[in-house]
Amino acid sequence: MALPAPAFRGTVAFSAAESRVQLHEGVAIFSSMITQAVVLVFVWVLARSLLPVAVFGAIIFSMFTFGQRVLNEAAYIRVDHKLNELYLASPLTPESYFLGIAVGVLVAYLGPTLLLVALAALWVGFTPALALELLLTATAVWLFSSSLGYVLSTLFRDMRAIWSYAAILYNLFGVLPPVFYPVGLFPAPLRPVALVLPPSAAADLLQNALHPGVLTPGEVGLAAAALATASLGMFLFALVWARRTAQEA
Amino acid sequence: MPTDALAAQEVRKTYRTRGGPAVEALSGVSMTVHAGERVALLGRNGAGKTTFLKIAATLLRPTSGSVSVFGHDAIRAPDEVRPMIAVVPQEGKPFFHLTPREQVYSYLRARGLTRATAKAKAEQALSEMGLTEVADRLSINLSGGQRQRTMVATVIATSAPLLFLDEPTIGMDPFARRSVWESLRALTRQGSTILLTTHYLDEAEALSDRLYIVERGRVLIEGTAASLKQGIGGSLRVSVADGARLAQQFASFGSCVTDGTTLHVLIEPPRLSELLDVAVRAQLTATVGPVTLEEAFLRAVGRSIDEE
Repeated sequence: MALPAPAFRGTVAFSAAESRVQLHEGVAIFSSMITQAVVLVFVWVLARSLLPVAVFGAIIFSMFTFGQRVLNEAAYIRVDHKLNELYLASPLTPESYFLGIAVGVLVAYLGPTLLLVALAALWVGFTPALALELLLTATAVWLFSSSLGYVLSTLFRDMRAIWSYAAILYNLFGVLPPVFYPVGLFPAPLRPVALVLPPSAAADLLQNALHPGVLTPGEVGLAAAALATASLGMFLFALVWARRTAQEA
Repeated sequence: MPTDALAAQEVRKTYRTRGGPAVEALSGVSMTVHAGERVALLGRNGAGKTTFLKIAATLLRPTSGSVSVFGHDAIRAPDEVRPMIAVVPQEGKPFFHLTPREQVYSYLRARGLTRATAKAKAEQALSEMGLTEVADRLSINLSGGQRQRTMVATVIATSAPLLFLDEPTIGMDPFARRSVWESLRALTRQGSTILLTTHYLDEAEALSDRLYIVERGRVLIEGTAASLKQGIGGSLRVSVADGARLAQQFASFGSCVTDGTTLHVLIEPPRLSELLDVAVRAQLTATVGPVTLEEAFLRAVGRSIDEE
């Protein structure tokens, strides 16, 4: 779907403001890494050989939780600050408004995730192919998660409800499936489910890159297709949704 | 550019709530705002002012009716309208982790202004709103009035052709309110058009060229403050404390409007002493003053603007 260039007018300026806002939340940025850090410590203590898998899983989980930040932020500035009205009734397009929040959150929260990338490079070492696969899968997860977060943010009128649902959603799909642990430990009958959920699809593709043969060629195809479809599909849906909800029914 | 900044025809809006009854917020509102005018929507809480403003500002779809902004369809072609407008949302707050200077500047940049223009306009707006001293303080550390002034500064800095301001001076002290009024007057002198909602009668009277009194989703009266006051049948208002119970006795002097237990009698000066005699004989306290917009509102709506 070709979108006209003016659809993204104002994105850079708005995302810069959004990043500046987010960067004031030092504790939030620190706390965004708590789950990943705790899991890595557990793995270090209990099964050190699984650390490479867990570190790549932590990177993917971080990218996935950016969507939770987008959900919280978009809902907060709409429900509490009413700033969506200020920005949407302006030349800034609805698409730019959505992307501005998503990119702003990404820029602010990316730093700690890059530390995980550095850890992965130290422990595993990167081949160009692995680096490229990490970049592609992480980007796809971010695109899916941020898009989902923005769409969900438009459905709530109460911040307390959002916090509860967001915690369930992002932990259920980010922690329970084989993101931090080997896909081989996941119940075999449920593997297809894990391979179509974007966070576990991305993590499992990376596991297969680290340890070729973990996934069958068919499973690689399924995971790659599911990840690409989910991320691009959700992103395009979020663009359409952003425009539609800019003028409430 | 068309001479009508805003033209609305028979705008209706019904909110449908899950499991609850449908609520008709607007019941066929029509109005016109000419280019360069300052027009106020005056009404009690829940009268439908904000709903209308949001529809006109492309933020809400009406159930039926049409709205055009400078000749562009605000409902079907919002992208054509949005570059020409700016909105101060009701109870809006600036980003708490931006300073007023950052807030205004970044908003102008997001609207597409160049760095230099955005910087110059931001400084001017902050100065007009008396925010220069706190311009580098995070908004989270500002008072409610200062935050509201930041919101107004953000919008007036745009010099957009049509500005929508939803209760723009709420929470401000009297000096700040007057600064806002003066800035809005200056903007219209420079060619902008302003549609604001307020439930401050003095604000509507001081600021608007014309006003619409809105009640239960309908426009009850439209006119200038002066014409609305002239239309209520007297140039003086005598407020008789506890006089409501004797309304029939005072009815012969002129139009009577009750506000709780107080009776407001609207009369012409020649009959003033006669009315005061009646009040004194009944041992009631009466105060005399010029007719204000409050009486016009009471007369039109049947109750005070502050009455829930």
